[in-house]
Amino acid sequence: MRIALHVNEETYELDLPPRRRLVDVLRDDLGLTGTKVGCAEGACGACAVLLDGRPVASCLLLAAAAEGHAVTTIEGLSRDGLTALQEAFVAEDALQCGYCTPGQIVSASALLAGTAHPTREEIRDAMAGNLCRCGAYPKIERAILLASGQEVA
Amino acid sequence: MPRLVRTQREMEGRFEDVWVLVDPDDDLETWPADADLALVGRPAVRQDGALRVTGDARYTGDIQLPGMLHAAVLRSPVAHGRVTRLDVGAARALPGVRAVIAPDTSVGFGGDPLLASETEYAGQPIAAVAGDTPEAAAAAVDALRLGIEALPHVVDPDEALREQRFTKEPSETVRGDVDAAFAAADVVVELEIETPAHLQTALEPHGAVAHWEGEELTAWVSTQGMFDARAELARRFSLPRESVRVITEFVGGGFGAKQGAGVEAILAAELARVTRRPVRLVNDRHAEQLDGGRRSWTRQTVKLGARVDGGLVAVESAAVISMGLGGWVFPVNQPALNLYAVEHARGMEFPLRTNLRAHNAFRAPGVTEGVTVFEQAVDELALALGIDPLELRRLNHVERDQQSGLPYSSKHLLACYDRAAELSGWAQRETLRGPQADGLLRGMGCATQIWWGGGGPPAHATIRLDASGHALVTTGIQDIGTGTLTTARIVAAEELGLPLDRVRVIGGDTRANVYAPVSGGSMTTPAVMPAVRSAAGKVRRTLLELASDVLEIAADDLAVRDGRIRSRDGGLDVPVTEVTEKLGHATIDGSGARGPNPDGFRVHTFGCQIAQVAVDAALGEVRVERVVAVHDVGRIVNPLGASSQAEGGVLQGVAYALSEELVIDPTTGVPVNASLDDYKLPTIADVPEIVIEFVNVPDPNLPNIGAKGLGEPPIVPTAAAVANAFAHATGRRCRALPMTRARVLEALRGAEGEGEGEASLAPTEALQ
Repeated sequence: MRIALHVNEETYELDLPPRRRLVDVLRDDLGLTGTKVGCAEGACGACAVLLDGRPVASCLLLAAAAEGHAVTTIEGLSRDGLTALQEAFVAEDALQCGYCTPGQIVSASALLAGTAHPTREEIRDAMAGNLCRCGAYPKIERAILLASGQEVA
Repeated sequence: MPRLVRTQREMEGRFEDVWVLVDPDDDLETWPADADLALVGRPAVRQDGALRVTGDARYTGDIQLPGMLHAAVLRSPVAHGRVTRLDVGAARALPGVRAVIAPDTSVGFGGDPLLASETEYAGQPIAAVAGDTPEAAAAAVDALRLGIEALPHVVDPDEALREQRFTKEPSETVRGDVDAAFAAADVVVELEIETPAHLQTALEPHGAVAHWEGEELTAWVSTQGMFDARAELARRFSLPRESVRVITEFVGGGFGAKQGAGVEAILAAELARVTRRPVRLVNDRHAEQLDGGRRSWTRQTVKLGARVDGGLVAVESAAVISMGLGGWVFPVNQPALNLYAVEHARGMEFPLRTNLRAHNAFRAPGVTEGVTVFEQAVDELALALGIDPLELRRLNHVERDQQSGLPYSSKHLLACYDRAAELSGWAQRETLRGPQADGLLRGMGCATQIWWGGGGPPAHATIRLDASGHALVTTGIQDIGTGTLTTARIVAAEELGLPLDRVRVIGGDTRANVYAPVSGGSMTTPAVMPAVRSAAGKVRRTLLELASDVLEIAADDLAVRDGRIRSRDGGLDVPVTEVTEKLGHATIDGSGARGPNPDGFRVHTFGCQIAQVAVDAALGEVRVERVVAVHDVGRIVNPLGASSQAEGGVLQGVAYALSEELVIDPTTGVPVNASLDDYKLPTIADVPEIVIEFVNVPDPNLPNIGAKGLGEPPIVPTAAAVANAFAHATGRRCRALPMTRARVLEALRGAEGEGEGEASLAPTEALQ
């Protein structure tokens, strides 16, 4: 089927099998491999992208369902160099293997867009859907606090 | 002149004799503890941090090549079965399907069969396909229309034990007269506890992309050992190893599970060979949880005998291990035999053969399981003796390896105890147990960590310094997320006297043929960093010789630091480029090799963790509130990366204690929670306060850096500390980990009649 996808402020006209998921289109058809696949069943958050600014699991979304919405991937967030959030992730070592990191950044970006100064509880609530097997969580929390200009103990 | 010498090499407690190239020019004195260092010991961010936060880092599954095919694997749905039907022809005939390989397909590679017509565990590969798209590959798997006749299976350890199904004969390690020592002991305690099957669950599953060009194979492999992968692929396909290139630039976690080429790379290479197209094979999550690897379920029975003064007189540990189809028997009894001073000790291992994938390494394999139970028994002994648990551990402290009698190369465990006690408020721990405003039961528990982590040869590095004053360090490191490339950058920059941003370290590619060991066994820092420093030392010496030519000052009177060459009398201070720019297209090159560890020592890492928990007795919920982790791993090169490693290990240990467990249906023999929904990894909301500290004293007996490995030590004592804190809070122990609500409620029910909610501390079993 033919669909038009709006990804990172570019429009792509695509001819796709109807059942192709958004994550596969992003990675395999558009070459945007920053979005990762950890489980392909909506449990890990590695494939998080923004759909009209809201974080969604792109493995659970058919590509066709994203038509008419603005999709933003980690590449879209990084277009103008590192954001304050990304700089904080590097500075605080809020990553280890880095595989979950794009999803973490996407979710944290959405959090900060809606809540300029999230509390620790708000961070934990918003980020609980992004698994990090390396256990960078304490530093992810610090990085988000730092990026939002808050005191980090 | 370099020489070849015989030396002993250790990997996770296994020793082997190897020949090692030793170059006297590689010798550098270990930086003393008080050395004035510019970079080592100071926090540094990751060299590749920007790549990892922008999504630009390319992992194996991100590789796309022109004409690349997508592979899929058909796996056994049963724990034991005989394939009765496989429609290879129908699958092959589907549009877009380019290859189907099955157990009876003539395949062009040797070695153990990778595809089974009689499967022995759920998830075992039966056939592999390659198609133009993932959809075509998935359709081919369906079209195979697997028929399989289920055969009897054994996944229940007790059944395996009754049937005496072992992967190898049970074994026993004994020293002294154990039975007599128990008979003479003032106090004897015994404790039996089960530990769960525990899945590594790297977020990036196992996977590979294989690409043939003529008789040359390039394989991108998500592995902890790219040189092992190279050797394995060369052997499988009868190629000289120079004809195989393995690229492992970014790995999305390993935790022990990603050794060598793995089935994935071999199948991808075979599919690529028969189709003459590049092939990508990445496990889906279900396959990864079934066949990616596992820390084995164990049931350990620990018996301790002591004098009234607290001195241990006898130890016995029997470990029943559900191995699956096989694998190394990891050293579950090592803590019992070696953690404390005891003359009479016996360790017994019963490695059961069950219908599960062969178990494999998971972060401190064996020792984590062993410490988890043994250190709970030590707390029971403390209770029986009426001695403070930390004090009992101090009383039985040792300076020598108990099995070999050799001294430790360095050991600062007592300092770890002291500092952990201070940071946790151990002295006030009894105040936690009074009535709490929130109605929760609180307690604090400790546990001791032991592990290896001394590294050793072979490991190499080469460095090339160019006219612009930038150094390129080539290593064989595959940085699986631990930050070892950054560690190498710090070490090289320190020795070269350059700022960090003038040094770039590369790894993750076997093409350069600069060897480093597998990223496992807490080996990379202690093995590779001395080689990096040696290589840098040679480049530095050459640089200063050349500076002497240019600046007309004797090289001995010059030093380089922060990118500047200075004379010792302070009269001269010029940038390094003052000399290097005269090189033109020439470079200053140096290579370094890791020398052997000194004879006559055992090299171990040590530590102490103290956990504080809160227990909701009504709901059976245990929350870890705080973990203090103090470890002795020699010199810390990068405190930022080191704290990340330690936090990650602690979190995996907390989850091992509280939530992670592969549950296997005994009727079908099939795991029921092989997904991330049902296999409970910790989330950010589960994180306790974690306090990390290191003793940070270089090991004077380790070559030139004095650093030991840190990947594994932090996970070792966490679960035991949490369980001990639970026992402190409730007076009860869960007979099996993880401490789920059901198990906690069951343990607390046993306490009824002793006053619900009151932490009455009766020792679980005091036999004498």
